[in-house]
Amino acid sequence: MKLDPVTLEVMNNRLAAIAEEMGIVLGQTGYSPNIKERRDFSCALFDGSGEMVAQAAHLPVHLGSTPLSVRAAIRRLVLAPGDVAVVNDPFAGGTHLPDVTMVEPVFLPGRRAPFAFVANRAHHADIGGMAPGSMALASEIYQEGFRLPPVKLIAGGEPVRDIFELFFANTRVRQEREGDLRAQIGALTVGRRRMVELARTLGTALVGAAMEELKNYSARLMKAALAKLNDGLYTAEDFLDDDGFGTEKVPLRVAIELRRGRARVDFTGSSPQVRGPVNANYAITLSAVFYVMKCLGAAAVPPNEGLMRAVEVIAPAGTVVNANAPAAVAGGNVETSQRLVDVLFKALAQAAPERIPAASSGSMSNLTVGGYDAERGRAFSYYETIAGGAGAAAGFPGASGIHTHMTNTLNTPIEALEAYYPLRVTEYRIRRGSGGKGKFPGGDGLVRELQCLVECDVSVLSERRVLAPYGLAGGGPGKPGVNYIERDGRRRRLPGKASARLAPGARIRIETPGGGAWGRK
Amino acid sequence: MSARRRTAQYRTPLLIGVDTGGTFTDVAAVIDGELRVHKLLSTPHDPAAAVLEGVRALLGEHIAQTLTYSSTVATNALLERRGARVALFTNARFEDLIEIGRQNRADIYALAPARPQPLVERAMRFGIAERTLFDGRIATELSAAEQRRIATIAAASRAQSFAVCLLHSYANPHSEERIAQILAPLGRPLSVSHRILPEYREFERLSTTVVNAYVAPLMVDHLERLQGELPAHRLRVMQSDGNAIGAELARLEPVRTILSGPAAGVVGAASLARAFGVDRFITFDMGGTSTDVSLFDRRANIRSLSYPAGYPVRTPVIDIHTVGAGGGSLARVDEGGLLKVGPQSAGADPGPACYGRGEQPTVTDADLVAGRLVAANFLGGRMGLFPERAQRAIGQLGRAMKCAMDDAAMGVVRVVNANMARAVRLITVERGLDPRQFALLAFGGAGPMHACELAAELGVRRVILPCNPGLACAYGALNAALGREYSLTVRRVAPSYAEAGRLMRPLLKRAQDEMAAQGVARARLELELWADLRYAGQSFELKVPLTARFIDDFHRAHERTFGYAARDAAVELVNLRVAGRAHEYAHRPRRIARAVGSPAPLGRISAIVDGRRRPIPIYQRERLGAGARLRGPLLVVELSATAYVAPGYTMRVDDFGNIHLEAGAA
Repeated sequence: MKLDPVTLEVMNNRLAAIAEEMGIVLGQTGYSPNIKERRDFSCALFDGSGEMVAQAAHLPVHLGSTPLSVRAAIRRLVLAPGDVAVVNDPFAGGTHLPDVTMVEPVFLPGRRAPFAFVANRAHHADIGGMAPGSMALASEIYQEGFRLPPVKLIAGGEPVRDIFELFFANTRVRQEREGDLRAQIGALTVGRRRMVELARTLGTALVGAAMEELKNYSARLMKAALAKLNDGLYTAEDFLDDDGFGTEKVPLRVAIELRRGRARVDFTGSSPQVRGPVNANYAITLSAVFYVMKCLGAAAVPPNEGLMRAVEVIAPAGTVVNANAPAAVAGGNVETSQRLVDVLFKALAQAAPERIPAASSGSMSNLTVGGYDAERGRAFSYYETIAGGAGAAAGFPGASGIHTHMTNTLNTPIEALEAYYPLRVTEYRIRRGSGGKGKFPGGDGLVRELQCLVECDVSVLSERRVLAPYGLAGGGPGKPGVNYIERDGRRRRLPGKASARLAPGARIRIETPGGGAWGRK
Repeated sequence: MSARRRTAQYRTPLLIGVDTGGTFTDVAAVIDGELRVHKLLSTPHDPAAAVLEGVRALLGEHIAQTLTYSSTVATNALLERRGARVALFTNARFEDLIEIGRQNRADIYALAPARPQPLVERAMRFGIAERTLFDGRIATELSAAEQRRIATIAAASRAQSFAVCLLHSYANPHSEERIAQILAPLGRPLSVSHRILPEYREFERLSTTVVNAYVAPLMVDHLERLQGELPAHRLRVMQSDGNAIGAELARLEPVRTILSGPAAGVVGAASLARAFGVDRFITFDMGGTSTDVSLFDRRANIRSLSYPAGYPVRTPVIDIHTVGAGGGSLARVDEGGLLKVGPQSAGADPGPACYGRGEQPTVTDADLVAGRLVAANFLGGRMGLFPERAQRAIGQLGRAMKCAMDDAAMGVVRVVNANMARAVRLITVERGLDPRQFALLAFGGAGPMHACELAAELGVRRVILPCNPGLACAYGALNAALGREYSLTVRRVAPSYAEAGRLMRPLLKRAQDEMAAQGVARARLELELWADLRYAGQSFELKVPLTARFIDDFHRAHERTFGYAARDAAVELVNLRVAGRAHEYAHRPRRIARAVGSPAPLGRISAIVDGRRRPIPIYQRERLGAGARLRGPLLVVELSATAYVAPGYTMRVDDFGNIHLEAGAA
């Protein structure tokens, strides 16, 4: 079926609106502050073959990697009407354990094969493991929490109680998990209904053809965007601070070859996988490339899988950019992903110096706090990420205290956080002077300080505490971040990746990195 | 000076509604029971000038009893950043919250993400040593020394307006009140967060308070000038939620009037719709550069959070979705081969190609080529159009699309309609409502031209084209009820109806007292009680009427909105709300003369209908009598708009001159 440009534009809007609506349902019905306040989730639509055709503008780190979860679910399971698959295992289609992905097939009357799939991914504030929040300094996946390869959570419309019970038995805060899973399922239901309605009103053939053609359209646009850059081979190298277990300056290397509208992105030469939890699996590396390509392609390119057709990604197995089991991976998703963007942009800055920004904070500055709240009579596990400074670009100073690149989660309102957890926020402000100096200065990072009102286990997973975010075109670097523990007025420095037990009254203080500047002053 | 004015010797009191927009100021007055209207160019440098001139043009030397005003003064101050220098008093170590916001970015794939500049510069944010907790306990009291310091800072600050926002002030306003007492004697507009919005979530409360402080001095001056010079006994101002409020209160909380213009449009549409007994409709107001759509489901849909100029404001606003596309939107083919319309616009200068100056194709050009616009009748013939320029521009677009000019024109029409349809879906489907159960009420210059096809795209069967399509806002102001909403965060798990009622008492008293102060008699005051509920543990509330069945109603609303209800889960009462309203006036439209025989067309025009060109008749709206019936395809022209009636639609003119279109009716 040949589709005219008008129908295609209409369908592009329709499909995106369905993904957006799924996100509204998930955010408004979620239970944990991480989902309802911080909106740490994403929603997308897939065609019958499992290729992503539309997404809502949620979190880049999820959006570029969810397709692999969907395909893993299709490959491993025979999904029938009324089934919902769930997966979080990084070595079987997931990314890191707290990110729980659900996939539901969309069937149409009179057709045996699924017409489409709807999926969402939500970060659960605890998925078991050695410390509350499941983002601790682990050295293998078994310490990081509960692993779910693709299994059916709902079969033929009936919840599989065994799986639910197994799930709850392995997390610290059952009630939250129940509510969050229910919200994820509700969002799928709404997405599936909308897809069925769409096919019924417009015709299966038309919707099917549009899903296919939208991918072609993205591929064409992406190719045109890449063709505008100067052909050539661009290489860059950057380093993770450390792995938290003594390995320092972990290299990330990339060679990007641009040729007539195609890109070959080769991470060969990056470090072998390491002991600490900064290993990324292939899905994460792919999502970093997807994000960078979408930025280059600009607003007009619909974010679907066609976008990657002109892009080849090479990530050797057994390295930090494509780790094998049983590597620890919690920080691959949240930290290494940011640093992969840094190295990709560093290479591309040579091809398009006037467009590419200097390094942003390069870290999500992950903080998890958990323990037992005697006053409220319940265990708790709280997770947040703290924004930093954005890198400046030619003509644009970097924004301050803003989430960049692979994440875009909100902060938890202080008035919600304090009402819900035995924690008090004692400082939240911009870290003045932390942005790089130059013609266009980098954005400043943040200072965030939390006081524990009960004994708490605290984990910090952060990057750019040693090696500063780079400037470009002669601009200065941003200041690295610093983590502290404060007790009785004494301040102790904490490494970038650390776990600690805090006594009541003690404080954890995170100062996040600034962004790099662009241009000499 | 009022000595030379005479109070009118009319049987009914003189009432006036005024709307100031970016381009035009509209005045609607009821004089001796009859509606009179006037339209003149706005005076953006001094908005009051056009208001005074327009009112005098209709009233002469008479004095109106009540004048209701809707304006874009506060909105424009915000958009153009012409507001006041504000000093903000907030908790020490949290001074940057106004800048950090929710720490996210609007466009996730932007290479250089940007946020709107904070409305209070850093040097004007003053950190105060004070801390209240979530349960209302005060951990750090405001010391005497700190109070003296506040007084000194405030006096030296050169601020034009003060904002006060402390953490958890919704739970205990004591410290904010104390600071307010210190600042009050300085005589500058004072915005205190717990008075403006006693609800939890600090950033949205702070932002709302600061926006209020930012626009307050301008609004105070503007309203003072109008009150001093307008020939009216009483001045009311439209709020964003569609209710009017006395100017004295509007001056304290101008943030509530930020979207007063579009809100007046919806109220106007609702007043018109009442006359023909339609109470479920979608308003479709398509202008030159943008289009407003909103949903009216027996009442206007009210949102509690909006983002004027990118700044979050948590006050009730009518849920109006604005799309950056209208008659002037530019059409082009992008690199991937897709036809795009907008958001770039030809504006008023150069304007669409057919206006005679521009070269690039716009929606209006496509409409002209497609035969939905009559060149000779544009603005009643006051402005000539150049069809050959439209044809050249659309022809070029066709070459880029590799199709004929006519196909290109229809392509533009379809794409712009698809954009509109998406906007309508956002306010219907996304709220769990089926657009097919609503009528489409079209106004604005381009609304009636695109209404039929938009309706078809949405599956809507009934389209209504009210009379005076360009004056809906002023008409809305004229008809608006007096009212205000009051809210309070209470946070109680599994409350009984009796307990909710007890908690409601102070809020009720405030509503009754304030409305009484506005001259509303107890007997005429309508009170609506609402509860914001959620499942304990959730963070998003659904608003349900506070009745004995309120918990049941919540389960049902949750199921409708989110696809499930958890009847065994505990329900948490988060906020209580009281809406106090008093209807003061409802204009009754006049009947028009009945149609005699079948109406005669003015002429015919070659139009593209169902992909083929054919002649279709043109009718003059003013000559259509009540009861006239016609079948599409046809055009109806009037001074400010042209309507296209598609084939398959039956048109009927009602007793008041409104046009009703029905799909597929015989």
